[in-house]
Amino acid sequence: MKIIQDLKKDEKEIQSLKSRSRIVLVIISFLILVGLSKIIQLTILDNNDYVTESDRNRIINMPLFPSRGLIQLQDGTIIAENIVFQGIYINRKFIESSGAQIELLHEKVLQDRPKVSYLSYKGESKEKIWLVDNLNEKELAKYELYKNSLPNIKLETSLRRFLPHKNLFSHVVGHMGRITRDDEIDFSTEKYLSDSLIGKVGLERVYEKSLRGFPGTSAIEVDVFGKKIRELERILPKRPSNLTLTLDLQLQRIAREELADRRGAIIAIDPNTGYIKALVSSPDYNPNILNGSEKGMPFSKVFKDQAPFFNRVISGSYPPASTIKPFIGLLGLEEGVVTPKTIIEDKGFFQIKEDGRKYRGWKEEGHGKVNLRKAIVESSDVYFYELSSQLTVDRISSFLNKFGFGDITGIDLFNETKSTLPTRNWKLGTIGEAWFVGDTINIGIGQGYITSTPLQLVSSISAIATKGKIFKPRLISNSNIQEYKPELLMEVELEKEIHWEIIESSMIAVINSWNGTAHNLFRDNGVKIAGKTGTAQIKSLTDQELTVREEYQGVRENIKNRDHALFASYGPIPNPNLAVVVIVENGESGSAVAAPIAQKLIENYQLKFKPNE
Amino acid sequence: MSRSPLDYSINKPLSSRFNPLVFIVKDLILFFSLVGVLSFGLFMLYSASGQSMSMVYRQMIYICGGLILMVFVSHLRPNSYKNLLMHSYWLGLFLLAYVLIVPAKGYETSRWIDFGFFSFQPSEIIRLILPLSLVAYLCRKEIKPQLSDWLVTSAASLICAFFVYKQPDLGTAIIVLTSGLIPIYLAGLPFKIIASYFGLLIVSAPFIWSGLRPYQQERVLTLLDPDADPLGTGWNIAQSQTAIGSGGLYGKGYLEGTQSQLDFIPESHSDFIFSVIGEEFGLIGISLLFLIYGIIIWRIFKIGYSAESRFERLACCSLGFIFLLFILINVLMVIGIIPVVGVPLPLISQGGTSIVVHLLAFGVILSTKKI
Repeated sequence: MKIIQDLKKDEKEIQSLKSRSRIVLVIISFLILVGLSKIIQLTILDNNDYVTESDRNRIINMPLFPSRGLIQLQDGTIIAENIVFQGIYINRKFIESSGAQIELLHEKVLQDRPKVSYLSYKGESKEKIWLVDNLNEKELAKYELYKNSLPNIKLETSLRRFLPHKNLFSHVVGHMGRITRDDEIDFSTEKYLSDSLIGKVGLERVYEKSLRGFPGTSAIEVDVFGKKIRELERILPKRPSNLTLTLDLQLQRIAREELADRRGAIIAIDPNTGYIKALVSSPDYNPNILNGSEKGMPFSKVFKDQAPFFNRVISGSYPPASTIKPFIGLLGLEEGVVTPKTIIEDKGFFQIKEDGRKYRGWKEEGHGKVNLRKAIVESSDVYFYELSSQLTVDRISSFLNKFGFGDITGIDLFNETKSTLPTRNWKLGTIGEAWFVGDTINIGIGQGYITSTPLQLVSSISAIATKGKIFKPRLISNSNIQEYKPELLMEVELEKEIHWEIIESSMIAVINSWNGTAHNLFRDNGVKIAGKTGTAQIKSLTDQELTVREEYQGVRENIKNRDHALFASYGPIPNPNLAVVVIVENGESGSAVAAPIAQKLIENYQLKFKPNE
Repeated sequence: MSRSPLDYSINKPLSSRFNPLVFIVKDLILFFSLVGVLSFGLFMLYSASGQSMSMVYRQMIYICGGLILMVFVSHLRPNSYKNLLMHSYWLGLFLLAYVLIVPAKGYETSRWIDFGFFSFQPSEIIRLILPLSLVAYLCRKEIKPQLSDWLVTSAASLICAFFVYKQPDLGTAIIVLTSGLIPIYLAGLPFKIIASYFGLLIVSAPFIWSGLRPYQQERVLTLLDPDADPLGTGWNIAQSQTAIGSGGLYGKGYLEGTQSQLDFIPESHSDFIFSVIGEEFGLIGISLLFLIYGIIIWRIFKIGYSAESRFERLACCSLGFIFLLFILINVLMVIGIIPVVGVPLPLISQGGTSIVVHLLAFGVILSTKKI
């Protein structure tokens, strides 16, 4: 009986337990349901999103950069190449926790280097902090030895641009630098890392895209610490092009030597193709320092105030001075204002009206009776004062513009300037004054408002050499992918072809004739050259009472105020193959200082075409 | 529905022949389900630990030891260790107090006891000791528990929870409290007392709230608004969700889970091992695991309902619910529904204490089964 009672009691208890369990189970079932629906949402509904997410976690697409294209001469001489550098860096994330490792690094690996506090690099936004970017072999060996104790300090090999000829091609090739925000806008279509190097000036900049090639990618699987596990896929980069320069090493060397320690510019081009044979701007700098491939100063302190980074050939605006005279003379002939026989009396000065202001010539006593030929040979200012006053500024400007004055030539270099070819509107807009006849008269001798770059000058003088053809100046003749053919920029057509010869023969006589301003160049059996000297005034001489010579004596006390020496030329005659412009800043005498350099270049260039003796 | 001793004696020799395996393990379905989950766990541990055999060997030793203990306990008569269970409460309480007084070195919080060769968290043990000792206490006499019994057991749960809370570990404290309250409720806690507990909770809620530390308050708030992420555990959860989600229906294959093999999942070998299962075996793998877990729970209740004494029934059902609850909490935590608390996935996550204690509990359950 007791057993039955017990059983009944048990039964009741089991019922109570079951009903209480059921309540708990209902609550838990609700949670189970929530959990299951979430799992189904994750695995089935949102599966694609999470697959993408997990791939993004583990796969990093690393750009693979091809080594930068070489720049070389026609004969294969290397002008710009890449050399290997080993650097060590630390990730910004770890910089603060790596004090001990940096200590160890200094103690064991970098014993010979001064200590630097790397915490001071904190302000920069870049990811990698470079501790040393050019480990030498001894340091590299030591680093390998202590590598395991320096887990945060990583080694990276990089390629740096190196120019074996250092300064010689600085204003041609230019240099590299870390990419900046402005650069990124320019090259937004390319893949650049935040610490990429990019061409900053010169060919490095203009041909950046071809030199860089097209980066490939390497899909790398990484773990949560960013450690590489394996490579999943690799798209090879497109090799960049190697560029071939039009320059002539010999001419480039001579040009640089001749300008050594002076400020100035030399440009020599082949008038038949526009290919540049020598391009030197002085002072220059060592691009390797800026490329990080050499240590030291990019230029000597002496040149600090002389703008060594400034490319005078393409960016320097100089008064063309008397080198403009052949063009003014040509216009006079074309317009019929003068004929070769027209004679003007040069008494040493020119007046627009009687009792008006005296425009003095450089020779105080004057050149006497002067025709066009004599005016060019002796560089009579008064002849061209008279001629230009009759031509008017409108005709002069539009004619000079046909030769490229006032326009960029489109050379494959960065930062070419247009200089100034003044017109009435230009003066009104820029100076805010009306045009005076006096302004025209100044242009007639290449002074006043008119300026031009050495490049423009050589380009326009080459038009006389080719009887009107101007080719686009080029530094690169071809890459291994494409050829940059000579490109006819413009063609000047004259009413009478004979006018070319009149001007040319006058320019030959500048050297060959006993009274020529550059007769000092003349030698029997020498290479026949056509040229025109120029002496550009820096300070305008305005005193009407003093002669030019008297007033200049005071001006030249200050070296910076001395005249620039110019010489624009081409040769040999006939069949010229080189046009040369030389400008020596404050060199004073076009004939004594600038002209011999041009002659040397033209003569030297001919050696290339002579059969071996 | 009524059984008689007579039927029992008649049926016994007819029901089955003597089977030594059944004699040893007592419940074949439960035993093999357990072995199945445990071995699956070992495989997952190998994958989740970055393919470390040494971790698998270590876990295997605990599993073997745990299984031997389980079989041993399953052959004891429940009455013989009932008193021992009741007093084991004091051992649990001592351990909880010990970690508070003598915190192990090298840990941020005082949760661990470190013996050098192995270390464990007392809170992991108390989760199972507490319910069993409470059941034993409530069933120490034949008569129904009195008011004083209810109050004593409730207070005992609260004290344990409070000690854990002091470690500080709010999440585990709530779990410990729950594992204490489940057996009390199942034992028939009168609804009047339940109502008054709720009343007390509501009245004291403001005081409890102000007694919580700011980060704990935030943690409670995350329960209400899981999108806010004051703990900064969002990254962990996102990685774990990514793992499960990218596993899809079939999974990426054993040892092929990128999230787990490349260490994107934090604690992938312990608390977050479920996401490794999800990534490598997909929804199908998860469902199979849940199926075996379901079989285990079904067996626990089957054994529990047919047990002979009140103590045995209560012990089984309490342990069954607690086992279910631990699975649920771990999974909900890994898939990002509840905040992260330190609950391993039972029988699978790496950790000797958890395995051994759970297998001991299964020993208690099996001991209530009569063959």
